[in-house]
Amino acid sequence: MMDRKEAIRYGIPLLLATVLVTVVIIFGLASQNPDGFEWSLFDFAGVTEPTGGFEGIWAFLGNSTIVDVMTGIIGIVSILFLGYAFFWLTSRRTK
Amino acid sequence: MHVPDGVLPIWLLAILYIVSGLMLIISVKMINKKFDDRLVPYMGVLAAVIFAAQLVNFPVPPSSGHLVGSTLLAVMLGPWGGMLIIGMVLFVQALYGDGGLLTYGLNFFNMGVFSCIVGWALALLLFKGLKRLTSEKKSVLISAAVASYVTTVSAAFVLGLELFTVPGFGVAALSAITVIHAFIGIGEAVLTFMILLYFVKAKPQVISFLKESEVTEMARVPKVPLLMPQTES
Repeated sequence: MMDRKEAIRYGIPLLLATVLVTVVIIFGLASQNPDGFEWSLFDFAGVTEPTGGFEGIWAFLGNSTIVDVMTGIIGIVSILFLGYAFFWLTSRRTK
Repeated sequence: MHVPDGVLPIWLLAILYIVSGLMLIISVKMINKKFDDRLVPYMGVLAAVIFAAQLVNFPVPPSSGHLVGSTLLAVMLGPWGGMLIIGMVLFVQALYGDGGLLTYGLNFFNMGVFSCIVGWALALLLFKGLKRLTSEKKSVLISAAVASYVTTVSAAFVLGLELFTVPGFGVAALSAITVIHAFIGIGEAVLTFMILLYFVKAKPQVISFLKESEVTEMARVPKVPLLMPQTES
Protein backbone atom coordinates (compact mmCIF):
# COMPACT_ATOMS: atom_id res chain seq x y z
CA MET A 1 0.00 0.00 0.00
CA MET A 2 1.31 3.43 -0.90
CA ASP A 3 2.11 5.70 2.05
CA ARG A 4 0.84 9.27 2.36
CA LYS A 5 4.11 10.92 1.34
CA GLU A 6 4.28 8.77 -1.76
CA ALA A 7 0.68 9.54 -2.68
CA ILE A 8 1.36 13.27 -2.35
CA ARG A 9 4.48 12.93 -4.53
CA TYR A 10 2.60 11.43 -7.40
CA GLY A 11 -0.52 13.50 -6.85
CA ILE A 12 1.31 16.83 -7.21
CA PRO A 13 2.10 16.64 -10.95
CA LEU A 14 -1.40 15.37 -11.62
CA LEU A 15 -2.99 18.19 -9.68
CA LEU A 16 -0.71 20.75 -11.34
CA ALA A 17 -1.55 19.38 -14.80
CA THR A 18 -5.29 19.53 -14.10
CA VAL A 19 -5.11 23.04 -12.67
CA LEU A 20 -2.91 24.20 -15.57
CA VAL A 21 -5.34 22.90 -18.19
CA THR A 22 -8.35 24.37 -16.37
CA VAL A 23 -6.73 27.80 -15.97
CA VAL A 24 -5.45 27.87 -19.56
CA ILE A 25 -8.88 26.99 -20.96
CA ILE A 26 -10.89 29.31 -18.69
CA PHE A 27 -8.64 32.31 -19.31
CA GLY A 28 -8.03 31.48 -22.99
CA LEU A 29 -4.25 31.44 -22.51
CA ALA A 30 -3.47 28.74 -25.07
CA SER A 31 -2.23 30.00 -28.42
CA GLN A 32 -4.91 30.02 -31.11
CA ASN A 33 -2.32 29.94 -33.91
CA PRO A 34 -2.24 26.78 -36.06
CA ASP A 35 0.37 24.27 -34.91
CA GLY A 36 3.59 23.78 -36.86
CA PHE A 37 2.12 21.07 -39.07
CA GLU A 38 -1.11 22.95 -39.85
CA TRP A 39 0.72 26.20 -40.51
CA SER A 40 3.25 24.72 -42.94
CA LEU A 41 0.70 22.60 -44.83
CA PHE A 42 -2.42 24.76 -44.94
CA ASP A 43 -1.05 28.31 -44.59
CA PHE A 44 2.44 28.08 -46.07
CA ALA A 45 1.90 25.44 -48.81
CA GLY A 46 -1.72 26.49 -49.41
CA VAL A 47 -3.14 22.96 -49.32
CA THR A 48 -6.91 22.91 -48.69
CA GLU A 49 -7.83 21.85 -45.16
CA PRO A 50 -10.17 18.82 -45.07
CA THR A 51 -13.60 19.40 -43.55
CA GLY A 52 -16.46 17.26 -42.35
CA GLY A 53 -14.39 14.49 -40.75
CA PHE A 54 -14.78 12.95 -37.31
CA GLU A 55 -14.74 15.81 -34.81
CA GLY A 56 -14.41 13.80 -31.63
CA ILE A 57 -16.68 11.99 -29.21
CA TRP A 58 -17.62 15.21 -27.42
CA ALA A 59 -18.54 17.16 -30.57
CA PHE A 60 -22.27 16.74 -29.81
CA LEU A 61 -21.80 18.90 -26.67
CA GLY A 62 -20.82 21.90 -28.78
CA ASN A 63 -18.11 24.47 -28.02
CA SER A 64 -17.99 26.25 -24.70
CA THR A 65 -15.42 26.87 -21.99
CA ILE A 66 -17.17 24.63 -19.47
CA VAL A 67 -17.36 21.77 -22.00
CA ASP A 68 -13.64 22.17 -22.77
CA VAL A 69 -12.72 22.16 -19.08
CA MET A 70 -14.92 19.16 -18.26
CA THR A 71 -13.82 17.08 -21.25
CA GLY A 72 -10.18 18.02 -20.59
CA ILE A 73 -10.44 16.77 -17.00
CA ILE A 74 -12.28 13.62 -18.11
CA GLY A 75 -9.43 12.98 -20.56
CA ILE A 76 -6.76 13.44 -17.89
CA VAL A 77 -8.54 11.08 -15.49
CA SER A 78 -9.20 8.53 -18.26
CA ILE A 79 -5.55 8.47 -19.29
CA LEU A 80 -4.50 8.18 -15.63
CA PHE A 81 -6.60 5.05 -15.16
CA LEU A 82 -5.74 3.66 -18.59
CA GLY A 83 -2.00 4.01 -17.89
CA TYR A 84 -2.37 2.61 -14.39
CA ALA A 85 -4.43 -0.36 -15.52
CA PHE A 86 -2.23 -1.13 -18.49
CA PHE A 87 1.05 -1.19 -16.58
CA TRP A 88 -0.60 -3.02 -13.69
CA LEU A 89 -1.82 -5.78 -15.99
CA THR A 90 1.24 -6.14 -18.20
CA SER A 91 3.94 -6.03 -15.55
CA ARG A 92 4.72 -8.88 -13.27
CA ARG A 93 4.86 -7.72 -9.71
CA THR A 94 7.94 -8.03 -7.54
CA LYS A 95 6.04 -8.25 -4.27
CA MET B 1 2.04 17.52 -35.21
CA HIS B 2 -1.29 15.63 -35.01
CA VAL B 3 -2.29 14.89 -38.61
CA PRO B 4 -6.07 14.72 -39.24
CA ASP B 5 -7.80 12.30 -41.60
CA GLY B 6 -8.22 13.25 -45.24
CA VAL B 7 -4.77 14.75 -45.82
CA LEU B 8 -2.38 11.89 -46.58
CA PRO B 9 -2.93 8.99 -49.02
CA ILE B 10 -4.48 5.82 -47.62
CA TRP B 11 -1.57 3.58 -48.74
CA LEU B 12 0.86 5.54 -46.57
CA LEU B 13 -1.53 5.39 -43.60
CA ALA B 14 -1.94 1.63 -44.08
CA ILE B 15 1.83 1.03 -44.16
CA LEU B 16 2.39 3.09 -41.03
CA TYR B 17 -0.56 1.39 -39.27
CA ILE B 18 1.19 -1.94 -39.83
CA VAL B 19 4.60 -0.65 -38.69
CA SER B 20 3.09 1.03 -35.64
CA GLY B 21 1.01 -2.03 -34.76
CA LEU B 22 4.11 -4.23 -34.84
CA MET B 23 6.02 -1.76 -32.66
CA LEU B 24 3.14 -1.69 -30.16
CA ILE B 25 3.20 -5.49 -29.92
CA ILE B 26 6.99 -5.48 -29.47
CA SER B 27 6.68 -2.77 -26.80
CA VAL B 28 4.12 -4.77 -24.81
CA LYS B 29 6.40 -7.82 -24.92
CA MET B 30 9.46 -5.79 -23.92
CA ILE B 31 7.88 -4.16 -20.87
CA ASN B 32 6.33 -7.39 -19.67
CA LYS B 33 9.14 -7.69 -17.14
CA LYS B 34 9.41 -7.38 -13.42
CA PHE B 35 9.30 -4.02 -11.75
CA ASP B 36 8.10 -2.76 -8.40
CA ASP B 37 4.31 -2.47 -8.38
CA ARG B 38 4.58 0.69 -6.25
CA LEU B 39 5.85 2.44 -9.39
CA VAL B 40 2.72 1.65 -11.39
CA PRO B 41 0.85 4.82 -10.28
CA TYR B 42 3.68 6.90 -11.74
CA MET B 43 3.04 5.39 -15.16
CA GLY B 44 -0.55 6.57 -14.98
CA VAL B 45 0.55 9.98 -13.72
CA LEU B 46 3.11 10.34 -16.51
CA ALA B 47 0.49 9.50 -19.13
CA ALA B 48 -1.95 12.01 -17.62
CA VAL B 49 0.70 14.74 -17.41
CA ILE B 50 1.69 14.22 -21.06
CA PHE B 51 -1.98 14.28 -22.13
CA ALA B 52 -2.58 17.50 -20.18
CA ALA B 53 0.59 19.15 -21.47
CA GLN B 54 -0.38 18.33 -25.06
CA LEU B 55 -3.69 20.16 -24.58
CA VAL B 56 -1.87 23.46 -24.09
CA ASN B 57 -0.38 25.19 -27.14
CA PHE B 58 2.31 27.82 -26.56
CA PRO B 59 2.74 30.59 -29.17
CA VAL B 60 5.52 30.43 -31.76
CA PRO B 61 4.33 33.09 -34.26
CA PRO B 62 2.99 32.59 -36.87
CA SER B 63 2.44 29.12 -35.50
CA SER B 64 2.19 27.37 -32.12
CA GLY B 65 3.49 24.24 -30.47
CA HIS B 66 2.96 21.90 -27.57
CA LEU B 67 4.94 19.31 -25.68
CA VAL B 68 5.15 15.89 -27.32
CA GLY B 69 7.02 14.25 -24.44
CA SER B 70 8.45 11.26 -26.33
CA THR B 71 12.07 11.86 -25.31
CA LEU B 72 11.02 12.63 -21.74
CA LEU B 73 9.13 9.33 -21.48
CA ALA B 74 11.86 7.35 -23.25
CA VAL B 75 14.53 8.68 -20.88
CA MET B 76 12.35 7.85 -17.89
CA LEU B 77 10.87 4.47 -18.84
CA GLY B 78 12.89 3.41 -21.86
CA PRO B 79 11.67 3.50 -25.47
CA TRP B 80 9.11 0.68 -24.97
CA GLY B 81 7.32 2.25 -22.03
CA GLY B 82 7.54 5.63 -23.74
CA MET B 83 5.95 4.32 -26.91
CA LEU B 84 3.12 2.67 -24.99
CA ILE B 85 2.25 5.84 -23.09
CA ILE B 86 2.41 7.96 -26.26
CA GLY B 87 0.21 5.31 -27.91
CA MET B 88 -2.40 5.64 -25.15
CA VAL B 89 -2.30 9.44 -25.21
CA LEU B 90 -2.65 9.58 -29.00
CA PHE B 91 -5.53 7.10 -28.90
CA VAL B 92 -7.54 9.21 -26.44
CA GLN B 93 -6.65 12.36 -28.41
CA ALA B 94 -7.89 10.71 -31.62
CA LEU B 95 -11.18 9.97 -29.86
CA TYR B 96 -11.24 13.65 -28.90
CA GLY B 97 -10.84 14.62 -32.56
CA ASP B 98 -7.21 15.76 -32.20
CA GLY B 99 -5.46 13.75 -34.91
CA GLY B 100 -7.47 11.39 -37.07
CA LEU B 101 -8.46 7.79 -36.40
CA LEU B 102 -7.15 6.68 -39.80
CA THR B 103 -3.94 8.63 -39.23
CA TYR B 104 -3.43 7.11 -35.77
CA GLY B 105 -0.71 4.79 -37.14
CA LEU B 106 1.13 7.68 -38.80
CA ASN B 107 0.86 9.94 -35.76
CA PHE B 108 2.02 7.12 -33.52
CA PHE B 109 4.93 6.40 -35.84
CA ASN B 110 6.09 10.05 -35.83
CA MET B 111 5.53 10.93 -32.17
CA GLY B 112 5.86 7.45 -30.66
CA VAL B 113 8.08 5.04 -32.57
CA PHE B 114 10.48 7.45 -34.28
CA SER B 115 10.61 10.05 -31.50
CA CYS B 116 10.97 7.60 -28.61
CA ILE B 117 13.74 5.58 -30.29
CA VAL B 118 15.69 8.58 -31.61
CA GLY B 119 15.15 10.59 -28.42
CA TRP B 120 16.21 7.71 -26.20
CA ALA B 121 19.30 6.81 -28.26
CA LEU B 122 20.47 10.39 -28.56
CA ALA B 123 19.85 11.16 -24.89
CA LEU B 124 21.72 8.02 -23.87
CA LEU B 125 24.75 8.92 -25.99
CA LEU B 126 24.82 12.44 -24.57
CA PHE B 127 24.26 11.16 -21.05
CA LYS B 128 27.18 8.75 -21.28
CA GLY B 129 29.47 11.57 -22.42
CA LEU B 130 28.20 14.15 -19.95
CA LYS B 131 28.34 11.99 -16.84
CA ARG B 132 32.12 11.92 -17.14
CA LEU B 133 32.08 15.68 -16.69
CA THR B 134 29.29 16.28 -14.20
CA SER B 135 26.85 14.51 -11.88
CA GLU B 136 24.46 11.82 -13.12
CA LYS B 137 21.38 13.90 -12.34
CA LYS B 138 22.62 17.02 -14.15
CA SER B 139 23.70 14.84 -17.07
CA VAL B 140 20.28 13.26 -17.45
CA LEU B 141 18.55 16.65 -17.36
CA ILE B 142 20.83 18.23 -19.98
CA SER B 143 20.94 15.19 -22.25
CA ALA B 144 17.15 14.77 -22.20
CA ALA B 145 16.56 18.46 -22.96
CA VAL B 146 19.04 18.52 -25.86
CA ALA B 147 17.80 15.20 -27.25
CA SER B 148 14.17 16.32 -27.04
CA TYR B 149 15.05 19.43 -29.08
CA VAL B 150 16.84 17.46 -31.81
CA THR B 151 14.09 14.82 -31.83
CA THR B 152 11.32 17.42 -32.25
CA VAL B 153 13.06 18.97 -35.25
CA SER B 154 13.86 15.52 -36.73
CA ALA B 155 10.27 14.29 -36.30
CA ALA B 156 8.99 17.42 -38.05
CA PHE B 157 11.42 16.73 -40.90
CA VAL B 158 10.11 13.15 -41.16
CA LEU B 159 6.52 14.45 -41.18
CA GLY B 160 7.58 16.86 -43.94
CA LEU B 161 8.92 13.92 -45.97
CA GLU B 162 5.59 12.10 -45.50
CA LEU B 163 3.78 15.26 -46.65
CA PHE B 164 5.56 15.08 -50.00
CA THR B 165 2.76 12.65 -50.92
CA VAL B 166 0.34 15.62 -50.72
CA PRO B 167 0.10 17.62 -53.99
CA GLY B 168 1.26 21.19 -53.35
CA PHE B 169 3.72 20.34 -50.58
CA GLY B 170 7.27 20.85 -51.80
CA VAL B 171 10.82 21.54 -50.67
CA ALA B 172 10.00 25.07 -49.48
CA ALA B 173 7.20 23.71 -47.26
CA LEU B 174 9.53 20.97 -45.96
CA SER B 175 11.99 23.70 -44.99
CA ALA B 176 9.18 25.70 -43.38
CA ILE B 177 7.92 22.82 -41.22
CA THR B 178 11.49 22.01 -40.14
CA VAL B 179 12.43 25.61 -39.36
CA ILE B 180 9.24 26.35 -37.38
CA HIS B 181 9.92 23.22 -35.30
CA ALA B 182 13.43 24.48 -34.64
CA PHE B 183 11.64 27.14 -32.54
CA ILE B 184 8.89 24.85 -31.20
CA GLY B 185 11.66 22.47 -30.10
CA ILE B 186 12.93 25.06 -27.63
CA GLY B 187 9.60 24.81 -25.78
CA GLU B 188 9.83 21.02 -25.88
CA ALA B 189 13.34 21.14 -24.40
CA VAL B 190 12.36 23.56 -21.62
CA LEU B 191 9.25 21.54 -20.64
CA THR B 192 11.19 18.26 -20.80
CA PHE B 193 13.82 19.73 -18.50
CA MET B 194 11.22 21.05 -16.01
CA ILE B 195 9.13 17.86 -15.81
CA LEU B 196 12.23 15.67 -15.57
CA LEU B 197 13.63 17.93 -12.84
CA TYR B 198 10.52 17.22 -10.76
CA PHE B 199 10.96 13.46 -11.12
CA VAL B 200 14.74 13.65 -10.53
CA LYS B 201 13.99 15.27 -7.19
CA ALA B 202 10.76 13.46 -6.26
CA LYS B 203 11.19 9.97 -7.71
CA PRO B 204 14.55 9.21 -9.38
CA GLN B 205 13.62 5.51 -9.32
CA VAL B 206 11.44 6.06 -12.40
CA ILE B 207 14.31 7.43 -14.51
CA SER B 208 15.93 4.57 -16.36
CA PHE B 209 19.29 6.32 -16.88
CA LEU B 210 19.99 6.79 -13.17
CA LYS B 211 21.75 4.36 -10.83
CA GLU B 212 18.82 4.19 -8.43
CA SER B 213 16.42 3.34 -11.26
CA GLU B 214 13.89 0.59 -10.62
CA VAL B 215 12.69 0.49 -14.22
CA THR B 216 15.99 -0.63 -15.75
CA GLU B 217 14.70 -4.03 -16.79
CA MET B 218 11.65 -2.49 -18.47
CA ALA B 219 13.89 -0.02 -20.31
CA ARG B 220 16.33 -2.62 -21.60
CA VAL B 221 16.78 -2.85 -25.36
CA PRO B 222 18.33 -5.53 -27.56
CA LYS B 223 22.08 -5.12 -27.96
CA VAL B 224 23.06 -2.00 -29.90
CA PRO B 225 26.86 -1.74 -30.25
CA LEU B 226 27.19 2.01 -29.61
CA LEU B 227 24.70 2.18 -26.78
CA MET B 228 24.95 -1.10 -25.04
CA PRO B 229 26.80 -0.81 -21.74
CA GLN B 230 23.94 1.49 -20.79
CA THR B 231 21.84 0.99 -17.67
CA GLU B 232 24.42 -1.17 -15.97
CA SER B 233 23.28 -0.16 -12.47
